[in-house]
Amino acid sequence: MGARVQPLGDSAITIELGSERSPELLREVHAAAAQIRLAGLDEIEDVVPAYLALSVFYDPLRSSFSEIAERVLEILSARDSVSAAEDPRHHVIPVRYDGVDLESVAAATKLTAEQVIELHTARTYTVDLLGFVPGWAYLSELDQRLQIARRPQPRPRVARGSVAIAATQTGIYPLDTPGGWHIIGNTNTALFDPSRDPPSLLKAGDTVRFERVA
Amino acid sequence: MIRVAKAPPYLAIQDAGRTRFRAAGVPRGGAMDLFAMRAANLIVGNQADSAVLEWALGGGSLSFLSALSFALVGASARATIGGKTVAPCTITRAAAGEQLVIEQFLTGRFLYVAVSGGFDVPPLLGSRSNYLPGHFGGLEGRLLKTGDELPVGTARSSPAEGFHCAAELMPRYDNETVHITRGPQADLFSDDAFRVLSESTHRVSSASDRTGYKVDGPSVGASPGSLPSEAACPGAIQVPGDGHPIILMADAPTVGGYPKIAVVSEADIPIVAQRRPGETLRFEIITIEQSQKALRRRAADLNTIAQLAAGAASARLLHM
Repeated sequence: MGARVQPLGDSAITIELGSERSPELLREVHAAAAQIRLAGLDEIEDVVPAYLALSVFYDPLRSSFSEIAERVLEILSARDSVSAAEDPRHHVIPVRYDGVDLESVAAATKLTAEQVIELHTARTYTVDLLGFVPGWAYLSELDQRLQIARRPQPRPRVARGSVAIAATQTGIYPLDTPGGWHIIGNTNTALFDPSRDPPSLLKAGDTVRFERVA
Repeated sequence: MIRVAKAPPYLAIQDAGRTRFRAAGVPRGGAMDLFAMRAANLIVGNQADSAVLEWALGGGSLSFLSALSFALVGASARATIGGKTVAPCTITRAAAGEQLVIEQFLTGRFLYVAVSGGFDVPPLLGSRSNYLPGHFGGLEGRLLKTGDELPVGTARSSPAEGFHCAAELMPRYDNETVHITRGPQADLFSDDAFRVLSESTHRVSSASDRTGYKVDGPSVGASPGSLPSEAACPGAIQVPGDGHPIILMADAPTVGGYPKIAVVSEADIPIVAQRRPGETLRFEIITIEQSQKALRRRAADLNTIAQLAAGAASARLLHM
């Protein structure tokens, strides 16, 4: 594979696996991340998959940049056993579609609120990656008819459990946080709990379906 | 036990942060100036990554409900215990009932208070640090306030009375030059951008907090704006569309879409962390090999502090 390895400061390296965002490349990144985790090198503390690249955080007092780069590339070149991300799970998330922006989303998309709900619940979404805040999963891909730009002004506080959409993605606010996505519903499902290990309900590669509840 | 007698505007429990949960979106967090936090712990005989108090933005006071040794490292501030002046970077004994008063800071931004035994709040995800944006860690996920009682763990050794850490073992906080290495998107920036970055004076903006420090100064020029998100880290210098760099700090999100032109050397992150709004920085580009070598030197300095503190402690035992 034509992987490009670069330092991300003293304690991480970023390995770029491609230059065009695609579901296939994302799967490849997740598989590579799984393979590195599986290798279980002592000096590696964390692996973070993303759209085009994965990053490996390591202890620079145990390995230099060139040593870790060589080891990681060696692991990735022995591409055989693991071909998919570590056991992806499927989640069904119950949602009350009573979000404050449901009507404005319907107006902006020239659909009825009922059609917005139907389109949002019709698809199975994939967790692209987690970030922004702990437990936030970027879910792809939203039906084209629901795709609208994020709100011009983010709200200073969005309540945890808010189910929202923006551009090509949907997501669930795991904590009370500022946010600029359109809120179409709410769920009681806990997305993030720091007293659990793993703390996040969703992980990259998992699939999600939303189920309408009253 | 220690009671917060008068909380400063910012007071939180911090340690070295969370290092294994970035894939779940959990930032490293932890102390803004890891070196000062670790030095403070080692001076009082703790493990380097024990939980300390991170103190900022103004004065306040703590009451020692039991006799304890403590040390103040980081920002410099006038401080007294039972009315007597407290020297920085020095192990100091507080008697039960005594009050530690910390006044306005003279220089720097974050002051670390380590006590022998460390602050013993429940760890979450391998750390006791407070992650304020996520409302978890530290004491009940929040900043400390007046009246809070803070549990202290058992000291693992009898600390040395009077041990003082020499300034040569600390980072040169007054140094204006901060070393950086090329970032993962360095190739997207022109030579001119790097010239602006390394030849201008950058002023820390008032828009700076535990998540990141914006710097005011010349724009490094056009940036490609937002790219597909990828991992970021404390110290990463990202450039939004307007060309004005932001240095990511401890609480920065785990991933981001702005291109990272460079990353601050970990050895020099404490120097950035201690810069106040309006103070200036200059950047000097070095290789990753040079940067990691500088970091190993800092680690060796921490080892020296640990050995000297332990030596002072055992010398004291011999004289008992």
